[in-house]
Amino acid sequence: MIELRLVVNGEERRLEVDPRTTLCDLLRERLALTGTKKGCDRGECGACTVHVNGRRVLSCMTLAVMHEGDAVTTIEGIARDGSLHPVQRAFVEHDAFQCGFCTSGQIMSAIACIEEGRASDPATIREAMSGNLCRCAAYANIVAAIQAAAESR
Amino acid sequence: MTAVVGRAVVGTPTSRLDGREKVSGEARYAADWPFENPLYGVLVQSSIPSGRIDSFDLAAAESAPGVARIFTHLNAPRLVPMDSPPLGQTFLPLQSDRIDYEGQHVALVIAETLEQAQHAARLVRVVYERGPARIDFRAHLTDEIEVQGFFPADTSTGDVSAGLGGADVKIDVTYRTADRHHVPIEPSATLADWRDGKLTLYDAAQWVHGVRIAVAHVLGIPLDDVRVISKFVGGGFGCKGFVWPHQILAAMASRELGRPVKLVLSRAHTFTAHGYQTASEQRVVLGATRDGRFVAIRHHSWTPTAISDDYLETCATPARASYASGAIETRNRAVRVNRGVPTPMRAPHEGVGAVAFECALDELAYALGVDPLEMRLRNYAERDPTTGTPFSQKNLRECYRIGAERFGWARRSPVPGTMRDGDTLIGYGMAGAVMFTVRMPSTARITLHPGGDVVIETATQDIGGGQYTILPMIAADALGVPVERVRIVLGDTALPDAGGTFGSSSTMSAGSAVFTAAQELKRLLGGRRSVSQPLTAEGKFQPEHSDALSMFTFGAVFAEVHVDRDLPTPRVARITGVYSAGRIINPKTARSQIIGGMTWGIGQALLEASELDLGLGRYLSKNLAGYVVPACADVRELDVTFIEEVDEHASLLGAKGIGELGAVGVAAAIGNAIYHATGTRVRDFPIRPERLL
Amino acid sequence: MIPSAFDYARPENLQDAFALLAEHGDEAKLIAGGHSLLPMMKLRLATPSILIDISRIDGLAGIDATRDGLKLGALVTHAALAASEQVRKLAPALADAAAQIGDTQVRNRGTLGGACAHGDPAADYPAVLLALGARLRIAKKGGETVKEADDFFRGMFETALEGDAILTEIALGPAPHSAYVKFPHPASHYAVVGVAAKLELQGAKIASARVAITGVGDSAFRAKSVEKALSGVDAGDAAAIRSACIDAAAGIEARSDVFASGSYRAAMAAVYAARAVTAAAIR
Repeated sequence: MIELRLVVNGEERRLEVDPRTTLCDLLRERLALTGTKKGCDRGECGACTVHVNGRRVLSCMTLAVMHEGDAVTTIEGIARDGSLHPVQRAFVEHDAFQCGFCTSGQIMSAIACIEEGRASDPATIREAMSGNLCRCAAYANIVAAIQAAAESR
Repeated sequence: MTAVVGRAVVGTPTSRLDGREKVSGEARYAADWPFENPLYGVLVQSSIPSGRIDSFDLAAAESAPGVARIFTHLNAPRLVPMDSPPLGQTFLPLQSDRIDYEGQHVALVIAETLEQAQHAARLVRVVYERGPARIDFRAHLTDEIEVQGFFPADTSTGDVSAGLGGADVKIDVTYRTADRHHVPIEPSATLADWRDGKLTLYDAAQWVHGVRIAVAHVLGIPLDDVRVISKFVGGGFGCKGFVWPHQILAAMASRELGRPVKLVLSRAHTFTAHGYQTASEQRVVLGATRDGRFVAIRHHSWTPTAISDDYLETCATPARASYASGAIETRNRAVRVNRGVPTPMRAPHEGVGAVAFECALDELAYALGVDPLEMRLRNYAERDPTTGTPFSQKNLRECYRIGAERFGWARRSPVPGTMRDGDTLIGYGMAGAVMFTVRMPSTARITLHPGGDVVIETATQDIGGGQYTILPMIAADALGVPVERVRIVLGDTALPDAGGTFGSSSTMSAGSAVFTAAQELKRLLGGRRSVSQPLTAEGKFQPEHSDALSMFTFGAVFAEVHVDRDLPTPRVARITGVYSAGRIINPKTARSQIIGGMTWGIGQALLEASELDLGLGRYLSKNLAGYVVPACADVRELDVTFIEEVDEHASLLGAKGIGELGAVGVAAAIGNAIYHATGTRVRDFPIRPERLL
Repeated sequence: MIPSAFDYARPENLQDAFALLAEHGDEAKLIAGGHSLLPMMKLRLATPSILIDISRIDGLAGIDATRDGLKLGALVTHAALAASEQVRKLAPALADAAAQIGDTQVRNRGTLGGACAHGDPAADYPAVLLALGARLRIAKKGGETVKEADDFFRGMFETALEGDAILTEIALGPAPHSAYVKFPHPASHYAVVGVAAKLELQGAKIASARVAITGVGDSAFRAKSVEKALSGVDAGDAAAIRSACIDAAAGIEARSDVFASGSYRAAMAAVYAARAVTAAAIR
């Protein structure tokens, strides 16, 4: 077991972790932050997307122990004072999900996509969001939601 | 039946009432339930497709850290046999040394942590005695068998041979579709909690009552002692519809060990854990007069099924209801192979059959020199061509008209390969869509509370179809209250039974039960608008089958495809779909259902195939890199229109089902558009770019 | 979650990393972004008993433009390469490749050095490094060596990197007329076919060309007959470029998989070679 210090959603967490534990499993099984989903455990679906030091990464594809001192933001950490993040609101408004399972990853990816300046038009958004699979296939609505959220900034 | 629901809320695009939970990560899916001190289960699957287990070497696995128990057929309790459905397969897990398919569960490792269970599962050594295996159904079509499916295997109207003999133009073509997998992004998960002689399952289920009935039966537990909860389900598309071995094993392990057990399937294990959509071999023979009228339709289909179980993918079904013809013959056969049991997948039966049937029709239209849309109009079926009965409702002619207009079908040049933009070949294609209407007996309870809050209780499931929103909309209108005052509790066997969320049946079935309960509540209120004590009413929907009417949903689908001449990769530029599918309760979520279905059609046409190693009986890729599903970049313009209609015969709401309809006909329209773009007819789906070289 | 147990160490400098490598030998694996190694470990295709995390070693994540071109630290992420103005200017083919690896999440973690050390036959960088004539700096206890890209990529998952060595830097000469284009696998985005081209232009003509192809053979390779055929061709003559590229995969036994057959890969190698050359010519 290895000692690890992380800042998760603005809160410092210290724990002992098995080196085998991925960041995704740490969030879900140790910190009860189950908004982050595990869809494939191989970096293929994007459901586990979180932000590390402000950039979107796949939490199933990185070991928790490699994130000593890092700032991790999950879906649970983006609303402010009980009010939804504009991208969360846009997802509801544009029906950008159905079952909702991939949604946490989509939204974390979408926020980053806007921050990266890649939300200017539908074609750019489609490419920038292609690492997040949605089997219900709400893609057309996801693109619309991101475009609307980006424009309202 | 009469449709009497009001229209204040129903018909108004309404954002999902469960939206906030879903966008904030609060929605609790099966694997998310907090469990104190759970054990973790990891499955071990067979590496051979046929034979028997000679022995296990469990020494290393059992002595690995944290291992609580390893279940095999040698120590697992005996289970009580049962039919399918509710089981997905009658071949129960860990009951004998028999191996029927690669990926069959042969052991369940239970340990204190997920990491420990995974580690120990890798240490389980199985010695197999391999038996002869038949993997490739196509190589054994002559060994076809007749099995009982959800629909009749055969139908016959008129004299097809005579019709073909007198036809001016005839085509005889064979189409192939690929094995496909549901791959919902949520892998199936069951959290089993055996406590004080009672079992609670937090499950990823499309049919909570089905899971309850099956698990209670096979484990020999009184029904009342089993409760199944599925508050949120991360997609199902059919694979969570029936009850599969992993759900039984999780429950069994919890009972044996007296502790909660958390069993979450790995993505790889899902590929053989809960069914698949079969590949198909489909022969379509069509005969027509010179002016494009059918004189004979013959559609024969072959699909694989398992050694232990009869499953029939009835691909040869669209012809039964689609077009007028004096002679129609459909026939569906299965071939046993050493593979898992297939199961319905969005869209089953007609969804697989339409690929062959609607493309074959396109071929006939080109052979006749008749516009493919005109061909369909000339053969428009005013009545069910197989039974001769009227349709409960059908506005397909309107679908064709509106679709053609919205799409700009008139801009199509009739000759293939003649529409271009530089090096890009452009193709227009279209297809019809037809889907049998399935309805489920359903019950619901509604309570009006002092203060005006309304609570609906019904054990339906919302797997993404929007029932969390649609059912409150129905109750709001029926009771004349704002939808914000209505709350719904669902996905729990402690609630009134409402059937499975499959067959595109939930909205009309559970919705009709909710409507009936609301009517009853109004009757009990007798004009009062408020109560001092909670007042509860129950409602029931019991669909009555009638031979006097045929009940289907319909659609017309148009696709534009762009093909890069040099590569030649087809890309779907846009799809227009117009649907005749009963009353649309929530246009917002209904459109989402259809664009989802259309995107599935893109996958079926161009991407999705589970390729098998024909020696090992193993899928070559049990992951989302090898099994390719559409991504955001694959989907461009999708245009959806619903005909305004009310089918009073289908349900009390006038609604029918749309969960699967959107996925029907899309792949055929794309295939037809690819032919139009390139002049190359590909009869093997998905259409790989190299088949167009 | 990873099935096999392993230890974890995070050295702060190269010397400590060498010491760990010396101590653990073949049992050790280096990890930086982890996007090549972790999938292998999850499948138990790699079962190291210790992971040496080199991601925090100083000085290995720089992008430096020098008089001779570019010096790139092995820990530079794909995202950083794709976003770098200097890379875009001096080695646009490399920026092209970096921007097309996997998806954004992968590009934010995956590293140049890691992808090269992995030696995947469908990886993008090998084609670019071959075409651009990159030099790879390899450090080990007691010294450094520099390998030409031509000598580094040796076969399927096989490179010149030895177990006790660390790839630290990749150096490139200026290659303003270069481009990388690919036919990505629709899910993994690995190259079904990827082609990098670097041209020296003399007026309107191609004076010399280097063309390298990935995804098609067991390892990325130079298409030397194409390079020869391109010499003297008018850079604006699309038909002449296409005809020069026609045998791009000649002599290579092209890989087949469920997505694309060998003959399709070979056919696409020619199409993409021409596209890469055309794109490089107008830069």
